[in-house]
Amino acid sequence: MSDSLWDQCLQRLQGELTAQQFNTWIRPLHAVYDSHTLRLLAPNAFVKERVESNFMTQIAAIACDLAGLSVPIVTEVGTQALSDTPATPAASPATENPSPAASDEPATTPRSATVTAQPVSSRNTSLNPNFTFDNFVEGKSNQLGKAASFQVGENPGKAYNPLLIYGGVGLGKTHLMHAVGNMIVQQKPNAKVIYLHSERFVAEMVKALQHNTINNFKRFYRSVDALLIDDIQFFAGKERSQEEFFHTFNSLLEGGQQVVMTCDRYPKEVDGLEERLKSRFGWGLPVAIEAPELETRVAILMSKAQLSGIEMPSEVAFFIAKRIRSNVRELEGALRRVIANAHFTGRPITMDFAKEALRDLLAIQDKLVTIDNIQKTVAEYFKIRVSDLHSKRRNRSITRPRQIAMALCKELTSHSLPEIGDAFGGRDHTTVLHACRKVEELKEGDQRINEDVSNLLRTLST
Amino acid sequence: MSRQLPLGIRLRDAATFENFLAAGNEPVLAALQHSSEVSLYLWGAAGTGKTHLLQAVCHQATAQGRRAAYLPLAEPGLHPAMLEGMEQFDLLCLDDVDAVVGDPDWEAALFHAYNRLTAAGHQLRLTASVSPAALAVELPDLHSRLGWGPVFQLQSLNDTAKRQALQQRAGARGVTLDDEVAEYLMKRCPRDMVSLFQLLEALDEASLAAQRRLTIPFVREYLGRQPGP
Repeated sequence: MSDSLWDQCLQRLQGELTAQQFNTWIRPLHAVYDSHTLRLLAPNAFVKERVESNFMTQIAAIACDLAGLSVPIVTEVGTQALSDTPATPAASPATENPSPAASDEPATTPRSATVTAQPVSSRNTSLNPNFTFDNFVEGKSNQLGKAASFQVGENPGKAYNPLLIYGGVGLGKTHLMHAVGNMIVQQKPNAKVIYLHSERFVAEMVKALQHNTINNFKRFYRSVDALLIDDIQFFAGKERSQEEFFHTFNSLLEGGQQVVMTCDRYPKEVDGLEERLKSRFGWGLPVAIEAPELETRVAILMSKAQLSGIEMPSEVAFFIAKRIRSNVRELEGALRRVIANAHFTGRPITMDFAKEALRDLLAIQDKLVTIDNIQKTVAEYFKIRVSDLHSKRRNRSITRPRQIAMALCKELTSHSLPEIGDAFGGRDHTTVLHACRKVEELKEGDQRINEDVSNLLRTLST
Repeated sequence: MSRQLPLGIRLRDAATFENFLAAGNEPVLAALQHSSEVSLYLWGAAGTGKTHLLQAVCHQATAQGRRAAYLPLAEPGLHPAMLEGMEQFDLLCLDDVDAVVGDPDWEAALFHAYNRLTAAGHQLRLTASVSPAALAVELPDLHSRLGWGPVFQLQSLNDTAKRQALQQRAGARGVTLDDEVAEYLMKRCPRDMVSLFQLLEALDEASLAAQRRLTIPFVREYLGRQPGP
């Protein structure tokens, strides 16, 4: 019943709104129909308010029309119940831990069996099972970080506490952190291991403060066997969160529970982080991860390609590794792109193919082709002046370049033919059309003109 | 004599994969329809069909029983707060990412949304007018993430394909656009697909109102009434 009413509403709305409006504002809503009230759950307050102010009248009218009576409609920020969402592949006990915000939720909102209209809480405390030590490619730049992480995984709370992994973006800090967590859980399946990004820590704390459940928040985080907290530089400038994290941190360390943190630089260099935190973070073992050297980059590419079941010629791996030096994420991005392109075009991975697939990464700037640009390039090429192209002069040394320039404008830009004519000293669109035909004809019959046009095309589009 | 107003009911130009003219962009289409990658990044000039394809992705996901959301980031009046909670969707489509990068609040919101979405194992589809490398992102953490998944460039259609796309769109609206008329439009109007489709829509409405077929004299008359280019 409920679904069909909303489904019918959706059909009508789809016909009445633009695709943009429908996809942006209506599609994200989740409807629940209980005790004759239509409850619309929006993913966040912004969407909820926008729906209320822009679409509510229309929705109410359609619902009333369809149901034959007036249907009370309420909007709320909320989400489908946990039971509705498929379980995460990581069936570790960590995923079964109730998230603190969920367990703290005051029992004032009536809950139906299928839906809880509570603020979206973090369910991302789970570990990513894909990040393990086995698939971490080791090299000079990350050896120490891997060794230290491995020891922490073997002896949580004892080896190094806290473990701080720091280094630039995309070097594998998060990978190592998850690997530690996965190893702990593997050895002790009921261990309570929580991974979260520091932004989530801040968000959940703010929520706990709003709902007056800060004690549950504290209890939750202090009860874990291992807390893995990513990107602590995001604590910068958030004093209340730093304070809370500081206490949690101390309590965990005292209890012999493991803390693993990552940061994009040495914590002492993070502005807006309290001194006592900076020094405390350095207590255990801070290990740096650096950008991988060429051999490691090649090894990373070969190993990732193998994992994807792809035959990667080593010359291609070397080619990519030589060109992309900054970080592993970018390297992986390049590889994924080559693989996806090969997969969806059905072409084998060769040097030329890789060059083509990574064209923009390798060249970076894609020149914007404008009429001005074309005129300038053509004038330079034929050693005439741009003003000649605009002029009424009709000797061949001018008209040929002018015609070629017009044809290039048609081919490389989206300007209308009248616009192109205008840009060449106010000529008619039929002149442009004639030029285009003429150039086509000349290209067929005259090798030199054909070459000129290809040269110009190359100059303009690379 | 008063002009007849067109009825409010007419065929909507629903964006699907079926009514997208691939013409050289087949690999991109295949990737969007079948890729299980967490993130895909699509870029190309205006009028290459980025919005159409994202909406088609949304359509397909919904038809498969997955929950999808589409956010046109270039639309005025949006706020970074609207990315909150978006990780609950199986598929999130962000159109025109280049419209918001450079703004620290948007960048932070995108970065966190990306992390939450990937942690939840859900998918992200992005578009922009430039490649990830050329995006002016200030936050390095976000920049490296945007280019992490496969990146595809959409190629502009050539004139023949443009005319075909225009006729196909006209057909979907129940209008016949003869070759000569399509040719006439291509010669006189901006040849990017956004302008051409807008023009088609305007012509369709004008022809309905005037109860006349889309012929060259009708189009000439219509264009003559519009303010010059």
